[in-house]
Amino acid sequence: MTDLIVVGAGLTGLFAAWQAARRGAQCMLVTAGRGGLELSSGCLGIASSGPPLRQVAKAPLPHPYALVGLDALRRAVDDLLELLEASNLPYAGGLESNLELPTAAGGTACAAYAPRSLARFLDAGAGPVTLAGFTGFRDFDSVLASNRLSARLQRPVAAADLPLPGSLPLRDLYSTDLARRFEDPDWRAQACAAWRPILIGVRHLGLPAVLGFRQHASVIAAIEELLELTVFEIPTLPPCLPGLRLESVLREACLAGGVDLIEGATAIGRVDGRNAVTRAAGIVAQTAGGPQVIDAGAVLLATGDLLHGGLVARQSGRLQESVFDLPVVHSSNRSTWTAPHFSDPQPYATFGLRVDARMRPLGADGAPLMQNLFAAGGILAGARRTEEGSRQGIGLATAWRAVESALP
Amino acid sequence: MTTSTPTLSADLCLKCNICTAACPVAAVTELFPGPKAVGPQAQRFRHPRLPSPDLSVSWCSGCGTCTRVCPHGVAIAEINIQAKARLAEEHAPPLRDHVISRPEWLGFAGSLAAPIANPLLRLGAARWALEKTLGIDRHAPMPPFARRTLRSRRRQRVVKAVPADPTNVVAYYHGCSTNYYEPDLGDKAIAVLERLGCRVVLPPQRCCGLPMQSNGFFDAARRQAATNIRLLVPYARAGIPIVGTSTSCTLALKHDYRVILGVEGEEAEIVARGTFDIFEFIAGRLEGALDAFDFAPVEATALYHPPCQLKSHFMGTPALRVLRRIPGLSITLSQSECCGIAGTYGLKHEKFAVAQAVGAGLFRQTAQLDPEFVLSDSETCRWWLEQHTRHKVIHPIELLARSMRLA
Amino acid sequence: MPSLSTQLIVIGGGATGLGVAWDACLRGIKVVLVEQSDLGQGTSGRYHGLLHSGGRYVLSDPPSATDCARENEILRRLAPTTIEDTGGLFVSAPADPPDFPDRWLTACQATGVPAHEISRASVLQREPLLSPNLVRCFEVLDASLDSFDLLHLLCAALRARGGQVWLRHRVERLVQRQGAIVGAEVLDLATGERASIGAQVVVNAAGPWARSVASLAGVDLPIALGRGAMLAMASRLVSTVVNRCKPPSDGDILVPVGTVSILGTTDEPVETPDDLTIAPWEIDLLLAEAEILVPGIAGHRALRAWSGIRPLYRPAPAAGAATRLLPRAHTILDHGETHGVRGFVSVIGGKLTTFRLMAEQVLQVIAPQLGSDTSCSTATTPLEPSERRKFHQLPGRLERVERTQGAPPAQLLCECELITRSDLETALGAIEAPDLDDLRRDLRLGMGPCQAAFCGYRAAGLALRRLGAPADGGLTPFLHERWRGLRPLGWGHTLRQMEFGRRVALELLGLVEPAETS
Repeated sequence: MTDLIVVGAGLTGLFAAWQAARRGAQCMLVTAGRGGLELSSGCLGIASSGPPLRQVAKAPLPHPYALVGLDALRRAVDDLLELLEASNLPYAGGLESNLELPTAAGGTACAAYAPRSLARFLDAGAGPVTLAGFTGFRDFDSVLASNRLSARLQRPVAAADLPLPGSLPLRDLYSTDLARRFEDPDWRAQACAAWRPILIGVRHLGLPAVLGFRQHASVIAAIEELLELTVFEIPTLPPCLPGLRLESVLREACLAGGVDLIEGATAIGRVDGRNAVTRAAGIVAQTAGGPQVIDAGAVLLATGDLLHGGLVARQSGRLQESVFDLPVVHSSNRSTWTAPHFSDPQPYATFGLRVDARMRPLGADGAPLMQNLFAAGGILAGARRTEEGSRQGIGLATAWRAVESALP
Repeated sequence: MTTSTPTLSADLCLKCNICTAACPVAAVTELFPGPKAVGPQAQRFRHPRLPSPDLSVSWCSGCGTCTRVCPHGVAIAEINIQAKARLAEEHAPPLRDHVISRPEWLGFAGSLAAPIANPLLRLGAARWALEKTLGIDRHAPMPPFARRTLRSRRRQRVVKAVPADPTNVVAYYHGCSTNYYEPDLGDKAIAVLERLGCRVVLPPQRCCGLPMQSNGFFDAARRQAATNIRLLVPYARAGIPIVGTSTSCTLALKHDYRVILGVEGEEAEIVARGTFDIFEFIAGRLEGALDAFDFAPVEATALYHPPCQLKSHFMGTPALRVLRRIPGLSITLSQSECCGIAGTYGLKHEKFAVAQAVGAGLFRQTAQLDPEFVLSDSETCRWWLEQHTRHKVIHPIELLARSMRLA
Repeated sequence: MPSLSTQLIVIGGGATGLGVAWDACLRGIKVVLVEQSDLGQGTSGRYHGLLHSGGRYVLSDPPSATDCARENEILRRLAPTTIEDTGGLFVSAPADPPDFPDRWLTACQATGVPAHEISRASVLQREPLLSPNLVRCFEVLDASLDSFDLLHLLCAALRARGGQVWLRHRVERLVQRQGAIVGAEVLDLATGERASIGAQVVVNAAGPWARSVASLAGVDLPIALGRGAMLAMASRLVSTVVNRCKPPSDGDILVPVGTVSILGTTDEPVETPDDLTIAPWEIDLLLAEAEILVPGIAGHRALRAWSGIRPLYRPAPAAGAATRLLPRAHTILDHGETHGVRGFVSVIGGKLTTFRLMAEQVLQVIAPQLGSDTSCSTATTPLEPSERRKFHQLPGRLERVERTQGAPPAQLLCECELITRSDLETALGAIEAPDLDDLRRDLRLGMGPCQAAFCGYRAAGLALRRLGAPADGGLTPFLHERWRGLRPLGWGHTLRQMEFGRRVALELLGLVEPAETS
């Protein structure tokens, strides 16, 4: 018998499933596909507009932070950082202040924690940095990356284009293709030999975040040694390696912990209404052959927001929660869902489930809908994650709290 | 996640590249533009009434990883298989593809001629000739034919009609490979099921047609599908589970007939819902019998590679759930999406090197771990892995049989 | 102020203006065409992509139907590379008026519009997604016509024969002398410089903006503006144009154009040519009507919505007597006759299919004023085909990308529309003061499913390297413009795509700083 079914394999779902396995539970992770970490910079945004801890502490209800509390956030982050350290994917940062790191379009992004390879940008202090792309690699442009950054940071930022060794590739290379090449010692030695003369005088070099996948840490070290400078990474267009590295560490931790992973199946919730207290009985997984009933002691929805399919917006103005068809906080007037400009805060981004302090979805009467149904991450209502820079913080803290509630 | 009309699901693609990042073939060759590129992306440019111009889709191995990882419901692998079938219609495929598409003919002829064929296939000259004439790579694995097929060995379990009392009856869909090449595996599967309280029968059945389908011969594959559905539907209707040990055959019955070949109707649906991988069946339906069973310890390490075809069932890895019951067994999971062979892909001379590169990580993992057992549920994966790792590779049911003292 | 003199000034870079300029040019008349924005930025570029068979008008406007049928045949000869010969269908649904199809077929015969009935079974074989409940089906000679392609061909042909096309120039003043227009002052919107052009005749072909152009000559032009919303589905659901065989109404057509299919259209009166808003009911109506043709269409992805403005001449009853109101959907006014302003002619309304005929009729009015007695030759002078324009037809772009396998790689910067780095570099070099939206119109950059989530960044990098400005390569305004066309469709998978693009731009690329957004 499965103790907990987690639905969804983004940061929230993977972290929750790993947590459940750590607590000795038999956990099943069911997902319709891979989650959003592939388009994530790998950074852990907690609250970007000020000192993260203080921002979290003063978040008003019904913000998920106000429900989940500081303790859950702290413990979730500690657990994750420990796993990452042990998995040779070290992170830098803290809850007291944000790291401001460059982006591929010449802006900056703030996060409490970042992969050390990204955070090494800060090692340059106020000194000059050079951002270099690779000729023919379309998902990072050094000129675009450096152009605005210089003005924004009030310091010299140079751009360079580095040739890739070997014959021209037969097709466009994705970041993942380059990451694999960088794991080949001969290839990267050849590359670095060609780049040395171009990089004379450069002390801090920013490269697109393609420097290895599983052997990432040793790749960076090898490049720094070959080029005799410090290297930091800047996230590219998706697939985004820092996010993929984080995903891979979490997925492998889940599998090593005995989590049953079902990929490819959509889940429909099953409700047990036989007793006075309504309970989630488990799910029906839509497998290749047809629907398959899976029983579980508890279900945790980590299916994400509108982008990832946890919520489905209908033409009629209805917002549907995709597994249990739970009530969703939203406006039913479709024309009010979006704001005029893409960079405006979007009303739809705050739609989602209302939950109690134990992360149980609530009905219109404010009472939990089911005793053993939980929700965490992007599916929760009440946060402007893009503007707050709170996406990962909410995911981790609510996942931690939900697992704690589901597996007392 | 799939829809019943793969090409229309192309609309749902957000271009997010999750499939591209996961594709094991694009990872090792620039000849393959990647699942997104040849799938939903190219699909918009294929005119239904004009020849398809893109041969590069033929580099897709059909492993199905892309469809499984897509979070937005695009049936990428299915789009690609259908595109390959259009190519096969427009460009006459080589004789080789016809030959490797028909394991049933090969198996039948091979079993008759096993005393001659088996030594011949071990001869370098004969393999060289096969490569030159047919384009079957001389290094590709070709297992020996069994001298007696499973059906002839287990004649008493062969049935022509649904048993009058269907209680605890299981219809074993053994497929071509178990019947002609690995009847021992069939024996063990039957023994395990019977030990757990089932009555196993061998219903009439034909080759599932998947090799034809993946080589683009849709019409031939549809004929196989129609025959199998006709033969098996009485069992499914009687509530008798159709259980298979070959993950690709069961996937064909469950999914490919309907979604890829477009076979419609209630009967296809009934067969699909009534078909189970053997571990899916054991883990899902025989849990009580498992709980009651006293498994013998197997103090050993095992590397388990769940085949891509198994993962495409979208049911996870039920074998893992069952094998965890074996005391003393330490199981390590494969870190590779695919071993490379992907059915018949790696047999082809022009694809052989790509298939090897796809499997390289798994070969390395096997060498580093050097486990007592290497496990994989699909026959072509086992043959391919045996050849490349020099380890004996067995179906997980064989290890379970051992722990049940049936080996 | 620099000045030059010509014979004819044409205001408006749509099909009408370019058609008039081209016709004049072929008659040996010196011509300057002035366009405030870019080619096809008004009604010509904002339509559903249909080359009419005439079938739509056989009952409502028979002369128009005959014109369409004739011009359809001519255009296929003149500019075959701009046309995809999809063929067309008129189909009636169970709820449509049952007597209409027979009346319609009779009218087709009377107006010379080729049409014949075919079986539902053969229609369904050809178009498997169409409803199995269709009642009657007829085949006509509709096709899809890429208006941008056509306008580019016309512009190139015009320039090759010495005609001038001034883009991003706005007419600020029409110079009058003794009751006649003798030229115009124009403002270069890119540089802010002014120039004066002397001419004997000015043709106002400014479409929805014709009223404000006319006001520069002190002429009040009564024009009614009708806004029509259209919607592109992300893929080709049909390969044949499909019309509803019923009296013309909202949402009665589905046109396959290149990679997409377009649902058209609604008709709402508006006050200004810049009112391009789309109401949710318009989208709902288009999808509901399309559902009758293609069951389940709402389950497909809607890619983008836009609207175009149809200008129609609406004279006050008293003024009617003094006009040359032709029995057609377009109107040509010689303001020398109507308002006592000589050398000034307005052409209003019409449809893309008959642009050539309209131009010929305009020239019948102005050629004598310009002293030309050469006859019209536009019907027999093919437009130089552009190799590049094959680009838009399926499966051309895929073939092109595929051919480069093994050769130096094509480098796809826009993966949805298969646009290469060299396509973009060529376009950046060919356009005066280009921005990303120009590349979009030229190459379909950002018009595919991802709506610039990936290609926008890549193209912006290229643009920044080439032009040195603006700082973000023009990406932010480009994404704003994409967002505008997505908003009316903001639910389901389209909303997913919107949020995906937004997440990439804001969280991954940090394109707009949080401080700027709040």
